[in-house]
Amino acid sequence: MASSSKLFGVVALLALVFPGWALADDANARWLDVEFPHDSPVLPVSSNLGLTTARVRGMSMALDLHASLVLRNTGTKAISGLTLRVEAQDLTPSGKGSVTVPSLNVMPGEVFPVRIDMELLRPFTAGKTEGAIVQVSLDCALFNDLSYYGPDKLNSRRALTVYELEARRDRKYLAALLQSGRLAQLREELNFGLQDFTPQQLGLELLRDARTVPAREQPVSVGAVSFPSSPVQPMGGAARVSGNEVRAPQIEVKNTSQKTVRSIEMGWIVRDERGRDFVAGSVPAVLQLAPVQTGTMTESGTLRFSHPTGQPMMIGALLAFVNDVEFWDGKLWIPTRIDIDEATADPVLRRALATSPEQQRLADIYRRKGINGLAQELKKVN
Amino acid sequence: MTPESAKDLHPSLNILALYSSGDLPLMQRLRTRYHLGRCPDCEQQLFLFRSTKVELKREANAQTLTGFEAIADWGRLEPEMLGNIGVGVAAARCIDKVGKSHALLSRLALVGGLMGLFVAGWVTHIPREQTGHLAASLRRLVGIERPQVITGTVLRTTPDGIAVRAQGATLTILHPPSAVVSMSGASAVSARYVDEETGQVTITKVYGQ
Repeated sequence: MASSSKLFGVVALLALVFPGWALADDANARWLDVEFPHDSPVLPVSSNLGLTTARVRGMSMALDLHASLVLRNTGTKAISGLTLRVEAQDLTPSGKGSVTVPSLNVMPGEVFPVRIDMELLRPFTAGKTEGAIVQVSLDCALFNDLSYYGPDKLNSRRALTVYELEARRDRKYLAALLQSGRLAQLREELNFGLQDFTPQQLGLELLRDARTVPAREQPVSVGAVSFPSSPVQPMGGAARVSGNEVRAPQIEVKNTSQKTVRSIEMGWIVRDERGRDFVAGSVPAVLQLAPVQTGTMTESGTLRFSHPTGQPMMIGALLAFVNDVEFWDGKLWIPTRIDIDEATADPVLRRALATSPEQQRLADIYRRKGINGLAQELKKVN
Repeated sequence: MTPESAKDLHPSLNILALYSSGDLPLMQRLRTRYHLGRCPDCEQQLFLFRSTKVELKREANAQTLTGFEAIADWGRLEPEMLGNIGVGVAAARCIDKVGKSHALLSRLALVGGLMGLFVAGWVTHIPREQTGHLAASLRRLVGIERPQVITGTVLRTTPDGIAVRAQGATLTILHPPSAVVSMSGASAVSARYVDEETGQVTITKVYGQ
């Protein structure tokens, strides 16, 4: 009995001391490294770990990293956007993160800030890291002429190019509204300057390699939302749905253009049991399609949807649309504003389809600075 | 024999009373009878005893006939009484059963009412999806449905950010509540928001492979 008490005491003491010891060990390690190639057209001027803290959470250590970087365009071209890769040794190679800043328009020699707020939860049993716990590096920088620099390990070039094309489309559209004096329509496009207006949100979970036992899973047909000018048209598809989970969605597409397609990014819309539509996101896939050829896009893995409050969102239907198309020559197609207007009669869905990162940024400028601030911004960028 | 000596030999009044009713033992009864044959006083006393007894018996009989006439036939009365007792016991049991069934019904009605109220409240206040989620959890609990086994990388949204969990560690890229979350690619989740400090649109992503 006495020996059991002693053993318990030793274990309790170790449990108290070990996290602190491990925390001190991690505190000695470097928390963040920022590494850019020497020939990079964008280089860090300074990096600052502001309110960065480390604390014990159960049998893990929680690192709160709030990094603020100041970068300079050291090249000769204006930078439209860039993506920074965020890697933690504890998750390598399975998991990583990134921070993308589109719609930058940073001229040569100018500096601009990038903030990275993250939390890393690592078990105390994790091995001691060599080097910094978190590494930040450049993945891709896109220039105004749509050329790029960077290893592009995360396929950032394609995403940055789509963002830039959407930004040009939306700036041109809003500038046209402004110049023609259609202010009421302009205000509507910019959410009337309301801060709390955001598209309907949803929570989601993407499970890779989940060995799931199907329970009352049922097949659901996938509807198509077509853009008139799209070079690739969705024909319809199917998925397996169980409650708030979607498995193996697939859709058949047809190349209706005269050019060979290299890759397609399909957008997915989830309709809940009350008939509300949510743009769940988009999935790019390499699918080579010759003119008039058809093909099937299949997504592996399991998607689980929930409301922002955490309640499961029962899936009533699935819709798919072509978000963008990359041709064999590297050129990209994105839907026009007319395409979006004609695709659906649902104003909420239309707004969700039309809300690009640039429109979100301009709406914020309109909210802060009014119509004059918006006009100056559009004039400066265009 | 002198009166004093005769008085000494006279049996007592108790003996004479017992003799008159025939309740004396044999030897004492013979001795008393011998004395009575020679003593006119005691014989007179015996006569009085016997007369009184007859009178009392006659009077007792007269009263019994008027007061207890109904129970004169005891043999008939006994089954009647037993029958009445049986009826009373049966009636008591019936009343007891009626009381118990009433209490049971009242309790059932109360439980039913509470259950009805609970069901109505659940239907009107709890979203259908939560009911389904609870039912699925119960199915897993009782073993009708097997729990999901997650072995690979998990990407998920949290109230504070988007997270990737792999190899026991979790990386969460934080974002403000106004961020719009969506899936981005076959193995990525993204969040988009306008940074309040810089005014830049920022898109964060987590990847799982």
